[in-house]
Amino acid sequence: MNNTPRVLNRILLGIVGIVLLAIGVLLMLLVSVPAVAAWWHGWAGGVLSFWLDLFARTQFPGRQESWLWLVICLVLVVVLGLMVAWVAQQGKGRTNLLVAEEDPGGVPGNVAIGGGVAEQALRAALADRPDLTGVTVAAYAIRGEPALKIRVEPRQGVAPHTLAAEISALVEALDAVIGRRTPVLIRIGSGARSRFGRAERVH
Amino acid sequence: MSHDIRNTPVSGPPDGAEPATPPLGAGAAGMERVLRRETRPSRAVVSMIAAVLVSVVCGYALLETGVRAIGQPPWLVDPLTAAERVVALPAGIPPLLLGVTGAVVTMAGLFFFLNAVLPGRRARHLFPDRRAAVVVDDEVIAAALARRARMAANVSPEQVMVVVSRNRVVVNVRPTSGIPLRQDTVLEAVRRELQDMHPVPMPDVQLQVATAGVVGA
Repeated sequence: MNNTPRVLNRILLGIVGIVLLAIGVLLMLLVSVPAVAAWWHGWAGGVLSFWLDLFARTQFPGRQESWLWLVICLVLVVVLGLMVAWVAQQGKGRTNLLVAEEDPGGVPGNVAIGGGVAEQALRAALADRPDLTGVTVAAYAIRGEPALKIRVEPRQGVAPHTLAAEISALVEALDAVIGRRTPVLIRIGSGARSRFGRAERVH
Repeated sequence: MSHDIRNTPVSGPPDGAEPATPPLGAGAAGMERVLRRETRPSRAVVSMIAAVLVSVVCGYALLETGVRAIGQPPWLVDPLTAAERVVALPAGIPPLLLGVTGAVVTMAGLFFFLNAVLPGRRARHLFPDRRAAVVVDDEVIAAALARRARMAANVSPEQVMVVVSRNRVVVNVRPTSGIPLRQDTVLEAVRRELQDMHPVPMPDVQLQVATAGVVGA
């Protein structure tokens, strides 16, 4: 329901995975195969001397330090920033407004209905049910359009289809109150409380 | 050994017609995408682990490079010294430690890579509904079916175990010793319950009755 960037996740995870795999396999080969160790000395030695040369040529005028260090710092800062941005992308997409549109009536202005309205109403309607251990209602934006996600955790053995039908009826009542059909996702799941709590006794 | 009873297409409304079934995710065009995403894992947690890992490595590298850039003594190891040690690698470290480190890094890399490449499916089914899109965990379906099977078989909750996977429902029943189990009744009850739920995709029902009964249940 949220806007987690799934393709990006897969691509970046693939890159991280391949890099780690390569490093790990190299380390193991270095230990076990002498020929690889010899090749590694030659190749990595070449790379290192190239960098040392680069450092020597990029010194500040009149000082020993190379400004390449600052460039590396900058690159690392950028990578860190990208990682923070990546984490920030996960699970976002929550929105506060359920309805926001211009009022067609005579009074100028907009009408906005917060997601809290739906949340409070549905929570209150489902609060007294003994067959539920948890209810979460949240509004998300799907391609800019607000949608409602209702997550309920029934006790063990509760028939999910009747539960879905009852919540669906509540949603229809909510439609009448709000005056607009918002897309709704009902998710019937199981959490720790519904899994280990006692089953409903009265059927 | 156990008896197997499989059901062929569920008795009830004729297949192919499905007139009474409202469309999945009635409501909006974007809902199809939502349902597709709800039934597949997002890899958000694995991504966060990877991001934190990369951040820690980069953060430490930044610290040492920054210290070097302003000409201060290194905190743990100077970047150039570290590079020289890496170049000289098989030497300077116990081979066992190096090998184990390599194995651990390889495993981590494999974990991330497989997470990126393998397709995944969450253990959930879709239910048709007039108004909303409904996604139900298989665990919840299994619990409901287990309750129905237990009532039909007239046994205690511990004697019934139901496993729901994408295309199959397996009902395991251990009958009470000395009391014959009417398999048709149990199977019919579970099938009818499943018919009422109408999960998408519709799984097959399979009943397995253990030959060893439970004493004194």
